[in-house]
Amino acid sequence: MNALRDAGIEMIPYLIAFVVGYLMPWRKEWFERFAVGSVAALSVAFVLGLWPDKAVEVAETRPEEWGHLLNLIVFLPLIAAIAVVFLPRQSPKLLKQFTMVVLGVDFLASLALLGVPMSEGWHFQYVTEWVPSLGIRYHVAIDGISVWLVLLSTLSTPIALHVSFGSIKKRTKELCFAFLMLHGAMMGAFVSLDLFLFFVFWELMLVPMILIIGIWGGVEKIKASYKFFLYTMAGSMMMLAAILYMAWVFHSIEGYWTFDYLALKRLVLPEDAAFWCFAGFALAFLIKVPMFPFHTWLPDAHVQAPTGGSIILAAVLLKLGTYGYIRFCMGMFEGPAWEASATLAGVAVAGGIFYGALCAWKQSDIKRLVAYSSVAHLGFVMLGLFSGTHAGVSGAIVQMINHGISTGALFLLVGVIYDRRHTRQIADFGGLAKVMPVYTALFVLVTMASVGVPGTNGFVGEFMVIMGTMVSDSLGRHATPAAVGASFGVILAALYMLSMVQRVFFGPLNNPKNEKLTDINSRELVAVAPLVALIFVFGLFPNILLSRMNDSVGATVRHLAEGRIAYEAHAGATTAKLRPKRGGPWEAGHPSPPQVADVAVALNAGADK
Amino acid sequence: MIDLFIALSPLLTVGFGGLLLMLAEALGKPANNTGMSPDGAVVVDAGAGRSEELGLLATVILFSGAASSMGVWLADPATLGVELVSPWLQVDRYSLFFSFILCISGGLCTLLGGGYLEEHKIDRGEFFTLVVFSTVGAIALGFAGDLLTVFVALETMSLGVYCMIGLRRSSPRAGEAALKYFLLGSFAAAIMMFGAALLYAATGHTDLAGIGAFVGGLGGEASGETAMVIVGMLLMLIGMAFKISAVPFHMWAPDAYEGAPTPTTSFMAAAVKTAAFAVLLRILLIAFGDPRLMSWGAGWPPVMACLSVLSMTIANVIAGRQSSVKRMLAYSSISHAGYLLMGVCAAMRLPEEASASVMFYLAGYCISTIGAFGALILCGSRGKEAVSYADLAGIGRRHPAAAAAFALFVISLAGMPPTAGFFGKLYVFRATIDAELYSLAIIGLLNSIVGAYYYMKVLVFMYMREPIPGAPIAIPMRSSMVVSALIIAAALVVAIGVLPGALLEMAAVAAAALS
Repeated sequence: MNALRDAGIEMIPYLIAFVVGYLMPWRKEWFERFAVGSVAALSVAFVLGLWPDKAVEVAETRPEEWGHLLNLIVFLPLIAAIAVVFLPRQSPKLLKQFTMVVLGVDFLASLALLGVPMSEGWHFQYVTEWVPSLGIRYHVAIDGISVWLVLLSTLSTPIALHVSFGSIKKRTKELCFAFLMLHGAMMGAFVSLDLFLFFVFWELMLVPMILIIGIWGGVEKIKASYKFFLYTMAGSMMMLAAILYMAWVFHSIEGYWTFDYLALKRLVLPEDAAFWCFAGFALAFLIKVPMFPFHTWLPDAHVQAPTGGSIILAAVLLKLGTYGYIRFCMGMFEGPAWEASATLAGVAVAGGIFYGALCAWKQSDIKRLVAYSSVAHLGFVMLGLFSGTHAGVSGAIVQMINHGISTGALFLLVGVIYDRRHTRQIADFGGLAKVMPVYTALFVLVTMASVGVPGTNGFVGEFMVIMGTMVSDSLGRHATPAAVGASFGVILAALYMLSMVQRVFFGPLNNPKNEKLTDINSRELVAVAPLVALIFVFGLFPNILLSRMNDSVGATVRHLAEGRIAYEAHAGATTAKLRPKRGGPWEAGHPSPPQVADVAVALNAGADK
Repeated sequence: MIDLFIALSPLLTVGFGGLLLMLAEALGKPANNTGMSPDGAVVVDAGAGRSEELGLLATVILFSGAASSMGVWLADPATLGVELVSPWLQVDRYSLFFSFILCISGGLCTLLGGGYLEEHKIDRGEFFTLVVFSTVGAIALGFAGDLLTVFVALETMSLGVYCMIGLRRSSPRAGEAALKYFLLGSFAAAIMMFGAALLYAATGHTDLAGIGAFVGGLGGEASGETAMVIVGMLLMLIGMAFKISAVPFHMWAPDAYEGAPTPTTSFMAAAVKTAAFAVLLRILLIAFGDPRLMSWGAGWPPVMACLSVLSMTIANVIAGRQSSVKRMLAYSSISHAGYLLMGVCAAMRLPEEASASVMFYLAGYCISTIGAFGALILCGSRGKEAVSYADLAGIGRRHPAAAAAFALFVISLAGMPPTAGFFGKLYVFRATIDAELYSLAIIGLLNSIVGAYYYMKVLVFMYMREPIPGAPIAIPMRSSMVVSALIIAAALVVAIGVLPGALLEMAAVAAAALS
C-alpha cells in the first residue's frame, strides 16, 4: 500500500502538467488536447530526468526560517515572465493585472524576510546542487546587508511598472516580460552566494534592461542601449576571467571544483594574482555603480530610458555595483581592496562627488541633472565603502537605500512633467508652483531628501559616511581631506538641486504652455506616496535600517581587517594558500568535497595530471 | 558480427536510409503530377515538389541515426567487437558523441530544408539525399582513425556540400559560391593528401595511433623523419583549418555561406565544422600527442593559438561591419571556430578537460547556429527574404514569435545565460584558464565583447527600430517544418542552458574515451 502511495505521489508533477496541458484552450478536439497534455507531461519528465539527482544538501537550517522563501522571491517573477509569453497580447489589462499581482506577491513575500532578526550569519539559506560536474551550486542566502536591497527592489519594481503603465501604451506584453525578467534577475543577483550563480543573474539582467531602454526610450535610445550593453559586458567579461581563475586556484589546492563564495573567500592569492582578480571584479562593479571615469553610460541611459526604466536603473541596478563591491571585492580581496581604497576614495571624491556635482549643475535637462546627481551620490556610497569603518560602511548602505528611494522618486516626478509637456528642459519651465502646488510640494520634499536635510533620510547616510571616513584607517592620512571634500560635496548638492528647483518651480510663470498644466493625479500620487513616506520613516528612525544591518556590517569590517592581515602575512609568496575555515555562522553552507567517485571525477581528471 | 553491425548502426542507419531516400525520390512522382515546374515551362526532376515528405523522411532517418548513436553509447561500444574495424573506424564514445550531434544537426537542417526549398521554388529532392550522405561522411569523419578513412570521409562529406551550395541553379551567386568552395576545397584536400603522404613516407603508418607511436619513438632528434613529420603535420593542419574556416583559410566561407541556400549554410556552419573539429582533435591528440609536439616550443599549440586569435579577432571585427545578417552569421561562425581553437590549444596541457569543453561547445554552437539560420529563414518569404538588418526592422512587433526565436539563438551565440552557448563559452574559457593560457583567454573574452555588439545589433533592429517607410520589409513564411525545427532547437538550447549537467558528463566521458 505504501509503495502504491509513493508511486502516486511521484506521479503528481506529471499529472499536473498533463492536466494543465489538456486544459489549455489552444485546441478543440479532445485528442489534440490529449497530445498537448502528453507533451507537457513528457517535458516535465525530461526536466526531472536532467535535474541532478544529488540530494538537497541544506546547511544548518534555522528552524524559524522557511528555506524556500528566497527561491519563491527569485523564481516567482522569472516563471511569471515565461507565463507572460503565453498570455494573449490583445488583452493588455490582463497582462498588467497579472504582472502587478505577481510583483505584489513578491513584495509581500519579501516583507516576511523582516520577520526574523538579522543576527550573525546567513539567513534563509538554501543550497542544492545545480551542475555538480562543474562544482556549481545553487546557493542563496541573505544577511543584514542584502535584505535591504532585496526589499528596495521588491518595492521599486512595482512602483516603476505602475508608472510605466501610465505613460507606455504600446507593446505591453514585452514591457511586462522585461520587467519581470529584470526583477527576477536582480533578486537572484542580490541573494546568490555562488559566484557562478551570481554571474548568471548578473548577465541575465542585461537583455531586459536594454530592451526597456531600447524599445520605449527617447530619441537616442539605440545609442544609449548599445553604450549600456557594451560597458556592462566589458566589465562582466573581466569578472568572468577572475571567477574562473579563482575557481581553478581553489581546485588546484583542494582538489575539487567549487564556485562558492564562502569557499573562494578563503583563498589568499599572491600579490599579482590578487591584484588582477580584484581589478577584474572591481571594474565590473565600478562600471555598474558607475564611478568616474566609467560613468559616461549613465547619463545617456537615464535620459533615454522611459521613466520606469530610470527608476529601476537608479534605485536598484546601480546598487548592484555597490553591493557587489561590498560583498565580493571587500569580501574576497581584502588586501588589494584595502591598498586601493585611498586611491579610489580620491577618485570617488574628486571624480564622483565634485565632478558629478559640477556636471549636474551645468545641465539644462532635468533628467540629466538627476542622473549626474546619482554619480555624486554614489560617490558618497563608494567613499563610505572605501573607508572600511563600521560607521562608513553602514552609512554607505543606508545611503544606498536612500538614494534608491529619493532618486527613484525624483525620476518619477520628472516623468510626471515629461508626460504632460514632453520636454525636460529647465528653461521651458518656471513658476510651476502656481499651477501644480501638490506636485511642487512633493518635488521640494524629495529634493530636500536628496540634498540631505536633517530629518530626511539623506542626512543620516551622508553624515555617517563622512564620520566614518574621518576615522578611517585604510585611507590613512587621506582620511581627513576626503572627509572635508565630501562635506563640501554636500553643499554642492544643495547648490545644483536647489537652483534647479528655483528655476523650475518658482519665479514668474512666463511660458504660456505651462498655464494649463494639471496637478499630479491620483495614479502618480499612489506611486510616489510610499517613497515619500519612507523618506521620513528612515530619516527619523534610521535605527530600523541600522539595527538589522549592524551584525552583518560588523562582520564585513572585521573580516576585511582579518583578511588584510592574512594577505600581508602572505606577501612575497608566489603561490596561493587557503585560509583555515573560520567556522561559525558566516561559513554555514560551505561546500564540502564531493564524496562519491563518479563521472564528475572523470570530468576533472584532466586538471589533475 | 551482429555486434559489429550494432556498433556501426549510426553509420549504417543513416547510410542505408540515404539509399532508401534516393529510391523514394527517384520512384515517386512530382507532387503536381505533371512533371512541370509551377510556371509550366521546365520539366522538373523526379522528387521535385515533394520537399515536405522527403524532408520529413530525411529527418526521421537522421534522428534515428541520433537515436542509434545514443543506443550504442549506452550499450558501451567497447564490448561490441569493434576491434575488427579498428583502426580504420574507431567506434568509441568519442565518435558516438559526435555522431549524435551530427545527426541532430543534419536532422534540423533537413527540417529547415523541407520548408525553405518549397517556399523558394527550389524544391528538388536531391537536396535531402545530399544532406543525408554528407552526414554519413561527417559521421565517418568522426569515426575515422586512419588517414585513408579520414580522406575518404572528408571527401564524402564535402562532395555533397558542393552540390548543395549550387542547388539554386539559376542564381549566378550560388554558382560562384559552389565553384569557389569546390576549387578551394579540392585544393585543401590535395594539400592534406600531400601531408598524409609525407607522414606515411616518414613513419610508414597511415593509422593515427601508429603515427603517434612512431613519432613518440623519434625522441625529438633533428632528423629527416622529424622534419617530414612536422611538415606533414602542418600540411594536415592547413587542410583542416580550411574545413573549419579558420582565418587565414576562411576566404571562401562568407561567399559560400551567403550564396548557398540557407539550410545548406546552416549545415555547413554546424555539421561540417563539427566533423572537422572531431577529426582535428583526434589527429592532434592521437597522432601528434607526443609531449614534444604538444609543447609550446616545438609543436602545434602556437600554430593553433595563432589561428585562434586571428579567427576570433578578424572575424569579429569584420562581422561587426556587415549589413547582411546572413553574412554576419557566416563571420560569426568563423569567430566561433576561433573560440573552439582556443579550447583545442588548451588540450596541450589538459587533453581531457579541453576536448570535453570543445565537444560541449560544439553541441551548443551547432544547435544555436542552426536555430539562428532557421529563424532567418522563418523571417523571410519568397521575394521578401530577410537579408539585411534593415529587413528585420520592426519584426519584433509584427511577428513576435519569429523575433523571439531569433533573439534566443542570438543570445545563445553571444554566450549569455540562460542558454547553451553560455555554458559552452564558460567551459572553453575555463579549460583555457586551467591550461594557464591566460593571455589567450583574455583575448577571447575581449573578443566576446566585440561579438556581443553585432549580436545585439540583431536585437536592436528587431525590437527597437521601425522600418523606413516604403523600404522593402521581410514577411515571415509559414511552414510547420521550419517552426518545428526551431521549437526543437529552442528547447534544446534552453534545456542545455539551464540543466547542462547531463551533457557535460557525456562530454567528459567521451573525451576520456579519446585518449
